[in-house]
Amino acid sequence: MIELRNVSFSYEGSADRALDDVCLSIAPGEFVGVIGPAGAGKTTLMHTLSGIVPHVRRGEFFGAANVAGLDTITSTVAEMSKTVGCVFQDVESQFVTTMVEDEILFALENFSIPRDEIPKRVDRALSDLDIADLRSRSLSSLSGGQKQKVALAAALALSPSVLAFDEATGELDPASSVQVFALLSQLRRERNTTIIVVEQKIMLLSAFADRLIVMDQGRVAIDGPVRQTLERPGRLLELGVNCPRVTTLAARLRDKGLYQGAPPINLDEAEVMARGILR
Amino acid sequence: MPGILEYQSGDTILHHTHPLVKLLLAVSVCVGGFITKSLMFNLALLLLSISGGFALGMGRKVKATLKGAGSLCLFLFTLQLPFVRSGRTLIPLPFGLKVTDMGLRFCAQLSMRLLGATLPLVLMLGVTRLSDLTNALVAQLGIPYRYAFVVTTAIRFIPILFVEMHDVIEAQTARGVELDGSFTQKIRLIPPLCVPLLVSCVQRMENNALAAELRGFYLRKRGSGYRRYPLNGADALVLTVCAAILAIAIIT
Repeated sequence: MIELRNVSFSYEGSADRALDDVCLSIAPGEFVGVIGPAGAGKTTLMHTLSGIVPHVRRGEFFGAANVAGLDTITSTVAEMSKTVGCVFQDVESQFVTTMVEDEILFALENFSIPRDEIPKRVDRALSDLDIADLRSRSLSSLSGGQKQKVALAAALALSPSVLAFDEATGELDPASSVQVFALLSQLRRERNTTIIVVEQKIMLLSAFADRLIVMDQGRVAIDGPVRQTLERPGRLLELGVNCPRVTTLAARLRDKGLYQGAPPINLDEAEVMARGILR
Repeated sequence: MPGILEYQSGDTILHHTHPLVKLLLAVSVCVGGFITKSLMFNLALLLLSISGGFALGMGRKVKATLKGAGSLCLFLFTLQLPFVRSGRTLIPLPFGLKVTDMGLRFCAQLSMRLLGATLPLVLMLGVTRLSDLTNALVAQLGIPYRYAFVVTTAIRFIPILFVEMHDVIEAQTARGVELDGSFTQKIRLIPPLCVPLLVSCVQRMENNALAAELRGFYLRKRGSGYRRYPLNGADALVLTVCAAILAIAIIT
């Protein structure tokens, strides 16, 4: 369970609140998408969940944050890291070794995972992301997308109970992004892992997430099930978030009295809507 | 420069040798080159490193190192040569300067020592994963993990700095900064090149430290390393070579 109660945070030297009275409750095994315009507080929210805020990124912190039983104020970042696996946007600066295999081993060794379990975890992480062939490659020889997969594999190998990804699929091609999201979905089903993903690709979020949190100026502007959230394309646009095109199309058709049903959030549902209108 | 200090996968004896034994071999060649007074032994050590590099399939690294360090050697050679006054004069120069036989020998040996010290370290890093070196330093020598990690991270950052520098140069060139010009113009270029490089490097190091912390860096113990590094027959052979190099260097 993740619980944020009235969390506010201002970075050192800044009068503006990066997070402003944020209240959140995320159940174990929930898949939550976080979306919002630049500067909305998405990354700060992710940093709060991992303990980076306020332990590393210092500033004024108010409220209480509890992640899987750990108070983020009293727990160290190292303690938090056993529970929360993070991957951030700039994967290159997250690499601490030079080789793919070593990068995945790094955290497993640090957390003293039993020796007989380490190779299984490395193998599984590599095969889950289809990068087993990169195992002995140097990180500097990889493409941006491959590097992102390695960073994701390193996080997945630890099997944390919470996975926090901050635009971690930014450099992946569409097919690989879907593959990563499907894998996250599978992890949630099989291991009850809580997934929190900051992502700008709303079609992906709408296809995989249970719930969408839309942030604006450090506040939670909208928090609800994906379909319910997407039913308000006008409000989303006001907040600087694009709706899936099929949802926007449904809203326009509804305004013109051509469609009365629930707005589609993916292509399959859009097809059903189109057939209904044409019938 | 990027790539020269990086590990190159392979299946040679040296790839399977204990990381600390490889380090010892590289240090032996360097120290041997500085201890010996024999120009021929310096040359032999240099040729050993060059041929070893090619045998390891690292011809590109050897050539790049010789090119980079060779320029510095040539500069030092030229700078020192006219100022060595001892020995028989071979070529008299203006302003009381001269080229002597002792000067030639001294400068040639200096250059070979410099090349001989650079090449083995480059080759050692080419056949040793930095993580193996870190783990071996911790497990075998008992060096605290954080210090061993800092040492290998510093080595890892050298090529990264070159890549960053290249990116900064590209970005500044795209913004109209002219890199060719007179000496004073080049001096003026230092701030637009060095300030962004410094900023990006500090930021990168900060992010890197954070990433390590987020992945349990401070929880690491001495026995946490997954790989084990038992000594084998190849290690004994390499250790014998190290002893031989040092012995010959002392004798000569």
